[in-house]
Amino acid sequence: MSPTRVECPPRPSILKPLTGALLIFLLSVYFYVLAGNIDAPPSPEQLGAAFWPKMILVMLMISCGIKAWEIMKARGKEEKKTSGDEPRLGVNIPKLAAMIAMIILVVYFLDVIGFALANFLFLVFFMRIAGLRKKIPLGLTSALGTIFLIYLFVKVVYLPLPKGQWFFDDFTIALYRVLHII
Amino acid sequence: MVDQIALLGTGLANTFDPLNFSMILIGLVIGILAGALPGITMLNAIVLVLPFTYLMGIVPSLLLMTSVYCGGVFGGSITGILFNIPGDPMNVPTTWEGYKLNKKGFVSKALGMAIMCSAIGGFLSALIMTFVSPPFAKVALSFSSCEYFSVVFLGLVSVVVIGTQSIGSALISLFIGMFLATVGMDDIYGAVRFTFGSRIMETGISFTTVLIGLFAIGEVLDQLSAKKTQEGDVIRTRPKTTLPRFREIWGLHNTILRGLGIGTVIGAIPGTGATVASFVSYGVEKQVSKTPEKFGTGVWEGLAASETSINASTGGAMIPLLTLGIPGSGATAVMMGAFLLHGIQPGPLLFSKSPESVYTIFVGMLVCNLIMILAGLITAKFFSELMRVPEHILAAFIVCFCLLGAFALRNDMADVWFMALFGIAGYFMRRYELPIPPLILGIILGPLSEKYFLTTMIGAGNDFTIFFRRPVSGCLMVISIGLLLLPFLRSLGKRGKKRLEAT
Repeated sequence: MSPTRVECPPRPSILKPLTGALLIFLLSVYFYVLAGNIDAPPSPEQLGAAFWPKMILVMLMISCGIKAWEIMKARGKEEKKTSGDEPRLGVNIPKLAAMIAMIILVVYFLDVIGFALANFLFLVFFMRIAGLRKKIPLGLTSALGTIFLIYLFVKVVYLPLPKGQWFFDDFTIALYRVLHII
Repeated sequence: MVDQIALLGTGLANTFDPLNFSMILIGLVIGILAGALPGITMLNAIVLVLPFTYLMGIVPSLLLMTSVYCGGVFGGSITGILFNIPGDPMNVPTTWEGYKLNKKGFVSKALGMAIMCSAIGGFLSALIMTFVSPPFAKVALSFSSCEYFSVVFLGLVSVVVIGTQSIGSALISLFIGMFLATVGMDDIYGAVRFTFGSRIMETGISFTTVLIGLFAIGEVLDQLSAKKTQEGDVIRTRPKTTLPRFREIWGLHNTILRGLGIGTVIGAIPGTGATVASFVSYGVEKQVSKTPEKFGTGVWEGLAASETSINASTGGAMIPLLTLGIPGSGATAVMMGAFLLHGIQPGPLLFSKSPESVYTIFVGMLVCNLIMILAGLITAKFFSELMRVPEHILAAFIVCFCLLGAFALRNDMADVWFMALFGIAGYFMRRYELPIPPLILGIILGPLSEKYFLTTMIGAGNDFTIFFRRPVSGCLMVISIGLLLLPFLRSLGKRGKKRLEAT
């Protein structure tokens, strides 16, 4: 019988956990250089507008160093967890990506198609992605919710919500008339 | 003293006048609702009620505004505890503990404890305001930017106590927040910083957009994207609000007293206010705790300290306004506007010219804080009903409220973009365990610390030792440095103990 070779588990790369701290460090250096372009102080005795951000960026660089030291120190040791920590659940990446996309799209379309339409569509799609399957409650909740929000913020709080561009502007005004908001 | 008691009697009678009393009730409800809705701050609510005071006398006007103020500072805690969405920056420390207590199944008690601590803090600070106003205001008047910086520094130091797991991560988060606060036009020199030529960026990044995004959107994304466990969805129940027993409150009497002291003193210092008070109080409480590592996991002391100090700051903030005519916060500045609208100049002369009005305000604040228990219970019940709404519907509407809240700040879509981007960043911060609270602390206290630091440096010829040479500032700096070193000293002590045991 040939002796079995015991394979050591591959040692995890130190670079991966350090990536975040390194990235923040590099960004701090970039902004530190950029802070050099800020207007000079009115007199040489004064610290000037660049002093404070530069000081913060230096502190940020030092903090990245502290973090890197913490990572190095913890390497190989079993991570200690405090009593309050809950194990993190897995992530549904397609769902997360869809929700992030919906948030970005609604912000973009608020100005283009107006709050009323953008919010209604957002509610429909977001709730669908989040897990609401039944069509009637989905449509009703979105429509009634949008009307409630329009009443609350336009009629009560007098907030001029985005009406949209081109014919969407006319559509929003027509909707406000139907709802007796204007 | 006899005069004072007689005036308090007159104030009591005036407070229970039907119009005045109804103003307290209306103000409390408006304040709590406004405080609870993210994006609509207590300050917005006070500004919104200001036009209605034109038609009233000075006493009902001020009672309406003070009750909006008292209710508003408490309101944000309800949504913080229930949904992890602090209504205002000052409610952030409450949210850290309150939401965790909610997750542990103590939501009813957490709401009750928040209501009681707010009422106790507000009531006792109003009592202090009544009797200690004039001498206290004189001390606060002697404060310069040097002392203000020391107070803010004390608030920033609390980051060490907030960052429990990794000091490095906490510091990175804090300095990112402080750096973000430097974007835009600088207050002292008027220079434009890190705007990349964008006019929108010149006004800076509003901390409210960052706050709404990081907390609310980040939480929604985190909750909905998490794969469910085999047990399926968590059953959503309707929590009742249970007021704590006297024994339970008595068990926290030291915490409440510390919160009261910190809240009243910081509230009375112009320019600081409830936000600084709540962070400092939470930080101090953690430092004096025997189990500081449990803070952030749902600890009653943390919740009580924060809540007591927030409402205690309302009484404190009224002291410089009434006795010196100096508004200590945005809310009291609007109240000063109400005084001036009615042709009354707040200040020392107010006590001799219209003492009845002053004492009615004093008694009004005392009564207001007592009624807040009832108003808080009713409003908490209303918001608790929302807990029964299915998660996907609630989450979608939370995002809508966040969009509207960000837009309402300046009617500017740029704020909505910032809010959305910080929301996404908030999700990744949670995922990669970069703590959010220090970033919030940095973005709120960063501009204040910069302003006071640079003003002090201009006055002192760039002599850094000024912070240690002035008595009040020196004491505060020594306390801050002590707090900063305490965790290291503790760990050294523990190591020493272990070594001794080993030998």
